[in-house]
Amino acid sequence: MAMTMTGEVQLAASRETVWAKLNDVEVLKACIPGCEELNMTGENEMQAVATQKIGPVKARFKGKVQLTDLDPPNGYKISGEGDGGIAGFAKGGATVALTDKDGGTLLTYNVEAQIGGKLAQLGQRLINGAAKKVADDFFQRFAAAVAAG
Amino acid sequence: MSATGIGAAVRRKEDFRFITGKGQYVDDVVRPGETRAVFVRSPHARAKIKSIDVSAARKMPGVIDVLTGADLANDKIGGLICGWMIHSKDGTPMKMAPHPALAATTVNHVGDAVAVVIAATVAQGKDAAEKVKVDYEVLAAVVDPAKAKSGPQIHEIAAKNTIYEWSLGDSKATDTAFANAKHVTKLDIVNNRLAPNAMEPRAALAEYDSGTDQLTLWNTTQNPHVARLVISAFVGIAPEHKLRVIAPDVGGGFGSKIFIYPEEVVCLWASRKVRRPVKWTSDRSEAFVTDAHGRDHVTHAELALDANGKILALRAHTIANLGAYMSTFSSSVPTYLYATLLSGQYDIPQIYCEVDAVYTNTVPVDAYRGAGRPEATFVVERLVEVAARELGLDPAELRKRNFVKSFPHQTPVIMAYDAGDYGASLKKAMELADVKGFSKRKREAARHGKLRGLGYSTYIEACGIAPSQAVGSLGAGVGLWESAEVRVNPTGSVEVLTGTHAHGQGHETTFAQLVSERLGIPFDSVSIVHGDTDKVQFGMGTYGSRSGAVGMSAIVKALDKVEAKAKKVAGFMMEAAEGDIEFKDGKFTVKGTDKSVGWGDVALNAYIAHKFTGAELEPGLKETSFYDPTNFTFPAGCHIAEVEIDIETGKTEIVNWTAVDDFGTVINPMIVEGQVHGGIAQGVGQAMLEGVVYDKEGQLVTGSMMDYTMPRAHDLPSFKVETTETRAPSNPLGIKGCGEAGAIAAPAAVINAITDAIGTEQIAMPATANAVWAALSRATPRAAA
Amino acid sequence: MPSVSMTVNGKPVTGDVEARTLLVQFLRENLRLTGTHVGCDTSQCGACVVHIDGIAAKSCTTLALQCEGAKITTIEGLAEPNGPLHPMQEAFREHHGLQCGYCTPGMIMAALDIVRRKGNDLDEHTIREQLDGNLCRCTGYHNIVKAIAAGAKAMAKGGAPAQAAE
Repeated sequence: MAMTMTGEVQLAASRETVWAKLNDVEVLKACIPGCEELNMTGENEMQAVATQKIGPVKARFKGKVQLTDLDPPNGYKISGEGDGGIAGFAKGGATVALTDKDGGTLLTYNVEAQIGGKLAQLGQRLINGAAKKVADDFFQRFAAAVAAG
Repeated sequence: MSATGIGAAVRRKEDFRFITGKGQYVDDVVRPGETRAVFVRSPHARAKIKSIDVSAARKMPGVIDVLTGADLANDKIGGLICGWMIHSKDGTPMKMAPHPALAATTVNHVGDAVAVVIAATVAQGKDAAEKVKVDYEVLAAVVDPAKAKSGPQIHEIAAKNTIYEWSLGDSKATDTAFANAKHVTKLDIVNNRLAPNAMEPRAALAEYDSGTDQLTLWNTTQNPHVARLVISAFVGIAPEHKLRVIAPDVGGGFGSKIFIYPEEVVCLWASRKVRRPVKWTSDRSEAFVTDAHGRDHVTHAELALDANGKILALRAHTIANLGAYMSTFSSSVPTYLYATLLSGQYDIPQIYCEVDAVYTNTVPVDAYRGAGRPEATFVVERLVEVAARELGLDPAELRKRNFVKSFPHQTPVIMAYDAGDYGASLKKAMELADVKGFSKRKREAARHGKLRGLGYSTYIEACGIAPSQAVGSLGAGVGLWESAEVRVNPTGSVEVLTGTHAHGQGHETTFAQLVSERLGIPFDSVSIVHGDTDKVQFGMGTYGSRSGAVGMSAIVKALDKVEAKAKKVAGFMMEAAEGDIEFKDGKFTVKGTDKSVGWGDVALNAYIAHKFTGAELEPGLKETSFYDPTNFTFPAGCHIAEVEIDIETGKTEIVNWTAVDDFGTVINPMIVEGQVHGGIAQGVGQAMLEGVVYDKEGQLVTGSMMDYTMPRAHDLPSFKVETTETRAPSNPLGIKGCGEAGAIAAPAAVINAITDAIGTEQIAMPATANAVWAALSRATPRAAA
Repeated sequence: MPSVSMTVNGKPVTGDVEARTLLVQFLRENLRLTGTHVGCDTSQCGACVVHIDGIAAKSCTTLALQCEGAKITTIEGLAEPNGPLHPMQEAFREHHGLQCGYCTPGMIMAALDIVRRKGNDLDEHTIREQLDGNLCRCTGYHNIVKAIAAGAKAMAKGGAPAQAAE
């Protein structure tokens, strides 16, 4: 099951500040819903453990998160691949772009995700809603983190 | 007719246990020390297995063992097989790829099992399965059967993912007939993929007795002996005499429980390894990704007619999706169970059919209620209906002009129809459905903003499967005879051991009716025993509407032998010659005298053996028969569907359903009607509601009953069901079989009715409200509408 | 493990269960009442329908612990031991409302709940609509509908309650 989603969020901080936060593991960890662990394992590569619930399927994903196409302070691509055990898998990525707007920064994102196994079998009707909720939660928290300086 | 004999609507013997919750299905059986198997399944449609790490899972609470495909290979457990050889047009044998019960190197569909956890409880097994780490290298998947030949190659053995390219009929003669035709009707048809969804999910419970080196398998199977044979001879788990297969109460099959599946093999193997009973019970989500699916054909079909609407020829090209592996009988379904029925009820001089069977990264596809014959009927009945509309002929009239009217009739596609009266079932159905009043009802509906349509399906099927020599010549790996043993007890009660199996069909009742009538003994004095290889002689099981035509014929033959021997016993008792004894209504009488003895006395005397010496007659009264039919049987009939469609929403309601079927002799009309009802429901399900959907990556989108639409009570009407009768000449009872008729007839009747209403032929199954609405908005209404 | 107590088919029962144990698992595995079946895992099929305090419920979607103190009736508790069948059971047999028997216990328990809610005089449309939560793959529902209408009528005549005696 593939899904795509786009969105934008206006942040009250400079592009450089937003960029720094986007590259701060601790900030990302705090903002990713259900994130239990996020550790740097190499340059621009992290190991993550996160619990996600899609419809009736709740799974704890373990996987790699990679940052690619880095273009400081304008954007990057963050992509991940998670293995949810018997629940299936999820993989996907988001292209994040930063532009100056209204004295702050406009963050636009373009998500492409794919799920498989039991997640797709039982959760496919709910995947769009679930993904939107994850993105909303993330950016709400991220906006708060940016505002907190 | 006696109250419990042939033709009586006897209430079923089996019902008491089911309505009181005392049925014993596999999951209800509990063995001491039982463990539970939980499978780890691939979430990918196609991938290489780079590594499997079970170390963490092994440490989880309650875990007894964790086994993988590598362990299975180490123990030299064989793979699953397809038991029907099909050769391609060029003479090469079908390309059967290896199918290990646990994948070791590659996975080929979502749900393919890669490991199994054996744990004390299901919950502990599931917790541990979460900890099995499988490292996959995901590969591009083949999903669409129509594009399978150009996709990445799934199995090493099958270039272009092609299993076989097979044909039947005379290509040249057919082309010539088409060249000379006045009219050609062409259709592109997708026969939608279905999930069988018997209400009882599959289950297997295996127990190893180390004291006797004996394995017992309780299994949801329609054919316990065939399961034992395949598991012994091909998978190599245990020799046949060391493996007992028990099929207790089985909650519906519809074909899906014919096949030998990985899970029962793994449970058997694991139970010997862990020295404890191992049980697996599928949950519904697992069923969707492991039970063999049905249908899934992509067909282009053409019908050639002359100026008078006489059919000259039919040709079809079909791509049949067999899924990721070849299931037990998968190869026969789109070939000998399909193309051989393309003559329908019609006299068609030339038929040519090509079938390309392909692998895809989807669940294996095999027989599902009707198996090939619904696909054939859909092709023929849609072609005929559309041809009539194109020629401006009444669809019933076009059918009548082309019906086979004299028997025997040899079709150009192997089958030799032996008896039938297609005009009679059509006529009766038209009367019952009040076809005459249809145009009035249509006008009435139009006044309420509704469209009405009427659709026929005059179907034929080949049942009573099957004459062994004939199927052997077509590639079957087994004979398709049936066995029966009639055991008369000293007190005169009777047990019949049958090689068929019942999973809803009511054999305990109908078979007892036959015995009761034949021996003149009370219905309650007869027990039917099936489903246990330790009790019952080898038998072929139940599918293809064969249990009446073939299974009961075997009982008749055994009863003949019982009667012959009982007459000898009676002769000794009454000091009369065997040839002077007459047997009627449970009494043995010396011809022309009033001397007689009853059934019970004869049974007792057969066992106490006081009236004859061992040199004169063997004691006892027990006979066995193996009956091989001389032909298929050909049930046929006419179903008429009438639908009403809401123009605004496309919501389609079936307002009338009429079925007139010729099943030959009917043993129990109540049970026969029930079989027809259930078949129609599955056929209507296919036509209007059901359809397995994979996304382009091979993920199953319709993987639960939330998303795969099963017919519910409010989706269906009550049905008018009647029969006509021409006896089947190929078996002693004249039975043709009734189990699949509804599922075979119904889809074409529904789609013919819907297309009649909406005025376009462009609609695919399932014709959901959305699909009907979309077709309506695309369509240019016919001038007549 | 927490303990749970309830009355099942008139008998008090107590058992230790994991918090995640479903009522259907408690009935089938702890009490060995295997007449209640599991036909799906998404609460669609109704093979698991039992009565909780007289009201039909899907026991696959009910935790055992939720039923602390409740009165549960399963198919096994519908007729008195050695007594006559409940009229609804009898109607299913008389009208051939079952084939493989797997959905039957849930169907009968759901049918009784239809009678409780809609009365003893049930038309075909009502029965078909009200059976929305129960799937049967064998019968095409034709005879189930007939059986429920007849069973409901017979219950009125015989005075049988839609809820089994506790």
